[in-house]
Amino acid sequence: MTADRHRDIKLDSWSVVSLLSLVVLPLVTTNPIVNSLAYQVAIGISAAMAIYIMLRLGLLSFMVPAFMAVGGYAGAILAKAGATNLLLLMLVAFIVPALAAIPLGALVLRLKGIYFIFVTFLFNEMLQLILFETPSLTGGSNGISAVPPASFLGWSLDTPKALVLVTGLVCLIASVTTLMVTQYFRAEFTSIEENETLTESLGVAVWKYRTIGFVASSGVAGLAGFALVNMLSTAHPSSFASWSVNSYIAYAFVGGRGTMLGMVVGSLLLIAMTNEFAAYAQLSVGLYGILLLVVMMALPGGIVGTCIDYFENFKARSAGNLKPATNER
Amino acid sequence: MSFIHRSLSKAVADLGAPRLRVEGASKRFGGLMVFDGLSFDIPPGGVLGVIGPNGAGKTTLINVICGMLSLTAGSIHMGDRDITSKPFHVVSRLGLARSFQQTNTYSRVSVEENLYRAQRFGAQRIGAANKGPDLGIAGLLEAFGLSGHLQERSDKLPYGLQKMLGLVMVLATRPRILLLDEPAAGLERRERTQVDRFVEHAQTILGCSVLIVEHDMDLVRRLCPRIMVLDAGRLIAEGAPDEVLARQDVIDAYLGPSEEPNHAEP
Repeated sequence: MTADRHRDIKLDSWSVVSLLSLVVLPLVTTNPIVNSLAYQVAIGISAAMAIYIMLRLGLLSFMVPAFMAVGGYAGAILAKAGATNLLLLMLVAFIVPALAAIPLGALVLRLKGIYFIFVTFLFNEMLQLILFETPSLTGGSNGISAVPPASFLGWSLDTPKALVLVTGLVCLIASVTTLMVTQYFRAEFTSIEENETLTESLGVAVWKYRTIGFVASSGVAGLAGFALVNMLSTAHPSSFASWSVNSYIAYAFVGGRGTMLGMVVGSLLLIAMTNEFAAYAQLSVGLYGILLLVVMMALPGGIVGTCIDYFENFKARSAGNLKPATNER
Repeated sequence: MSFIHRSLSKAVADLGAPRLRVEGASKRFGGLMVFDGLSFDIPPGGVLGVIGPNGAGKTTLINVICGMLSLTAGSIHMGDRDITSKPFHVVSRLGLARSFQQTNTYSRVSVEENLYRAQRFGAQRIGAANKGPDLGIAGLLEAFGLSGHLQERSDKLPYGLQKMLGLVMVLATRPRILLLDEPAAGLERRERTQVDRFVEHAQTILGCSVLIVEHDMDLVRRLCPRIMVLDAGRLIAEGAPDEVLARQDVIDAYLGPSEEPNHAEP
């Protein structure tokens, strides 16, 4: 294993391990503020992971709220029909948006850069329209309310503690899925992101890996949507508004778009600060904006990216002082 | 013994090396005809040099053969297989690989990671399944001075090393036909013999057929028993290098027509 891959897999694995805390937290504390933060962060991280998978391919997808809605509504419709098994709901919330991504991917994955961003953003608006125009299936502007909570082995997971636990668990599964997909296809994904022409010249079917990434990203977004619906016990169009994607993208870029750890750090920091700024009612949006500006200008690689660069440079300088460059590590 | 081994491995490799056949190839961009009705072939294990002034259509020729661009008319065959306008990655997976005129590597990762990726992608080649002779990559890296830089980011390497890394990466995909787009461009004179070494290595180990687009006439003379000259998309000469490069129309194409010596003063 080359040093580059070794470092990446170590960082990503540690970030997933750190998410165990989201599952443990509701078991050890009843503090409503902590639990509220935990579930918001869990949903934020899950959505940011969907952004992250596409970023690994060099694509910034604005379609995450749309796929969150597909997963969330699929889970809600199923739960309303009486199928509340947690594993089944998670499976459906992953598979339905993932399947929807195949034909959509054939359309949008031909596009790159700003065109991809623009079209994926439009899909959010189209989905909102579909939600409002299909009241028999989605409840229209009222959404689907009183969605039964998920259950497991006959136990209804309806207590506040259990709801946070389920949200943390969904986040963990979304992150493990992201880890598996991005690590298994790491060479292909990062090569496509960095130099598509060279990658194609070496025999890689770029469309195939883009589709794999898009399908996985959609499934992960669907899980995030399910977690949100299960937490709120409501599937409503406003939960999946187009603008919400801005937050998820901000988590990715502030944390550092190159690693899964970046998603965790970005989500945690920005959600915690949003809650903190909420105390300054009218100023909160402005304060949030200033925070984004400062972090993006001072740390263009995001927090984690900048730290990695710093440590790599430090290591290189130390190695240069101590010994000549070695061939093997 | 070494000679016998090399001859044997080349003969074995030759058995599967397909003939590259280009027939009546034309490429047009809107109103601009880049080349028209071009036909040639490269026998298994053969080397064909393509020369011509800038803008003659040499790189476009490589681009259409490898599938980066589609042909306007004509056909391209690898052995019996029609690869006309097949997607770029499919042509590559069939064993036809190209190098680039400029340096082209994964610039943000180490040399070692670059090589790993090329090997990984090459292993997915149709019918290859990572089988075949040892490619001797370690020896090539040593010869090109790359083995001391395996942990360095490829964009930190000097230009010549980046260029050679690009060639080694192409070799790592186990191609049967190589299209080299100005492999010596930008290399110092003493570095250019590394291109000779690379081509000979690819031929010895894999029995590759090679098409080389190049401006360095010494290199062309050394490597190519046969060359063709393109000028504004037309094939103006074909044959042995010494013979072709001595022709007046070829010299004119490169240097511009020589002035008539007898302009009488009025």
